[in-house]
Amino acid sequence: MTLSATLKSGAATMLAIAVAGAALLVATDTRSEELKSYDSSKKDFWLHPPDDWFMGDETQEQKGTHVLNTLPPPTGFTDDEIKATLQKIKLPPGFKIELWASGVPEARQMAWGKDGTLYVGSFLATNVYAIKDDGGQRTVKTIAKGMKMPTGIAYRDGALYVADIDKIYKYDNPEANPDELPEPKVVYDDMPPYPPHGWKYLAFDKDGWLYVPFGPPCNECLPPTSTSQIRRVNPGNGLAEIVALGVRNSVGGDVDPRTGDYWFTENARDWLGDDVPSDKLNHITKIGEHFGYPYCHQGDIPDPKFAMGHKCSEFSPPALKLGAHMAPLGMKFYTGDQFPADYKNNIILTEHGSWNRHQFQGARLVRVTTDPDGKTVKQTEFATGWIGEDGKYRGRPNDVLEAKDGSLLVADDFTGAIYRISYSK
Amino acid sequence: MLRAMLSSMRLLLIAVSASAFFVGTEPGSPADLQAGQDLAAGCAGCHGADGISEAPLTPSLAGQPDEFVQWQLVYFRSGARKDEVMGPIAQALSNDDIRNLGAFYASLPSPKPTILPDGLSQAGEKLAALHRCRSCHADDLNGFRAAARLSGQREDVLLKALRDFKSGKRVGSGVASMADATFELSDADLQALSHYLATRP
Ligand code: HEC
Ligand code: HEC
Repeated sequence: MTLSATLKSGAATMLAIAVAGAALLVATDTRSEELKSYDSSKKDFWLHPPDDWFMGDETQEQKGTHVLNTLPPPTGFTDDEIKATLQKIKLPPGFKIELWASGVPEARQMAWGKDGTLYVGSFLATNVYAIKDDGGQRTVKTIAKGMKMPTGIAYRDGALYVADIDKIYKYDNPEANPDELPEPKVVYDDMPPYPPHGWKYLAFDKDGWLYVPFGPPCNECLPPTSTSQIRRVNPGNGLAEIVALGVRNSVGGDVDPRTGDYWFTENARDWLGDDVPSDKLNHITKIGEHFGYPYCHQGDIPDPKFAMGHKCSEFSPPALKLGAHMAPLGMKFYTGDQFPADYKNNIILTEHGSWNRHQFQGARLVRVTTDPDGKTVKQTEFATGWIGEDGKYRGRPNDVLEAKDGSLLVADDFTGAIYRISYSK
Repeated sequence: MLRAMLSSMRLLLIAVSASAFFVGTEPGSPADLQAGQDLAAGCAGCHGADGISEAPLTPSLAGQPDEFVQWQLVYFRSGARKDEVMGPIAQALSNDDIRNLGAFYASLPSPKPTILPDGLSQAGEKLAALHRCRSCHADDLNGFRAAARLSGQREDVLLKALRDFKSGKRVGSGVASMADATFELSDADLQALSHYLATRP
């Protein structure tokens, strides 16, 4: 068989792709065939999940995919480079996107303060930012530094809430000092210390309770009892209840303004392939509902190892399959008046994009329409174009937030920027 | 037979994709190797003529991944990685300088090990397998993107780096970092690991 004939056969092509993806990893080393794995059944694992936990279920097919492939360029982006990307973003007719603020390293969840200050969390940048808009001139201040991973941000009744892995902090009247946050109060700390999937998202319901996700510290394992769930936490008195079980990594959710129900995004497990299993949009319809992890993925794929006799029919199916490795994160129901009327009560959700896939996909915004009881749920692309023609990321949206005028802010932790999407006829 | 074919294909593909990696698709102007080389003349006094260091506690830079060099310079510049010597040097570098330096050092032939394997390096090899260093530093330990090339680095540099991570003096980069890869390692382990890594081609 000649080399070119080999390359034409499907299997060889697949392999070629895998090898090319791993090009920099491959060498003459005899160990290169070894796959990473870990034993999550031992106490050691729970005391200290290994640093490379995300590699723990490596397969030959997916070898070469690595989170290190998804880091932004070390020297960052200039405003002009960000603007050039935004010019290529595709939106429905009448919508436009512009750069709203830059210099917000690893920007994650956003929330409005009472005087129009935008508070923004971050990932390993360990910062909380405050962005002030003074007649179109925006200044970004770092008002907290050296936290763990302050990804979850919420604001209510004159107080800022920050979820930082194992604590929820409350900062009263954060506007009083524009340069630094006041001493916080810990309002909830019955939380496991794991950094893996320990980063959080916060959503208030109308009673002033917070929905808080607790991800398992692994890709696929039997989760410790304190994880793989969503709790509803009362920051007033520190009480909490478990509202959903069997949830893997969720970093986005919102309360339907029509019903008060909580909807949330969920990232499915890695290392099963480029196109399975699908990430999910879920809808909690009864308290304590089980969404399947670790036994069942995307509502209909039993886990090859951890199904352990369970059937997918035992668990709540997703309201919508979003696609594999899309990495859906922050989401909001749109309640404003600026967008066309049929956007009212739609969900706009962000997809951060893949790492455990040979070609990146995701890095876009999706519009989801649903009736209040979640029976007819449909998705369409809303904003796309953050993956360049060379297949590399140009941005990775991870949260949305409606502004007073009904426009939509978008946080991007890859460029460290906030965008604004607006509509006019 | 299949194996032989696969390995020849693999070589071919490495060649193809290695060249693809140097196409300037990152933002900003494509890296300028000549400019990188000119700037690096000012670094040679410490980091060695061909990026291969002969000075104690000073890292070799030759053959390091482009991104690793860039990240470290960015960390020195921002103060996220603290060093009295490198801090001020990095503060004088522009983004373009950093990109050019990264590309230049990545293009240099990597250092050859100056010590031979022995009992200590065998102990280190076992530890490296047990503690999964290859998950980020690549199967050949020659580095991958933000993760350093470890093979053939000076032993004293490796040991200082590991001790700095262990003591928290040096905080790594985010998502996949050394922050606590050293969590369960004793100082004797760090010595064995450094010794092993320094013997690797
Ligand atoms: C006066 C000596 C000196 C000069 C000149 C110097 N360096 Fe360094 N450099 C060091 C030392 C010492 C370290 C190790 C610091 C530590 O232990 O954390 C270092 C570390 C580094 C590192 C991190 C490497 C690693 O493996 O962690 C990089 C990258 C680097 N230098 C690049 C440069 C560049 C580029 C220049 C020239 C623009 C330069 N250095 C000039 C002494 C020097
Ligand atoms: C989760 C990914 C990951 C794992 C696992 C990992 N490393 Fe690293 N390592 C990195 C990254 C990324 C860097 C770059 C430094 C930084 O974080 O800023 C690094 C840097 C280093 C350095 C400093 C190199 C220099 O020149 O500055 C040493 C030494 C090192 N690692 C050794 C090890 C050893 C030994 C192991 C196994 C015990 C290991 N690493 C496991 C990601 C990892």
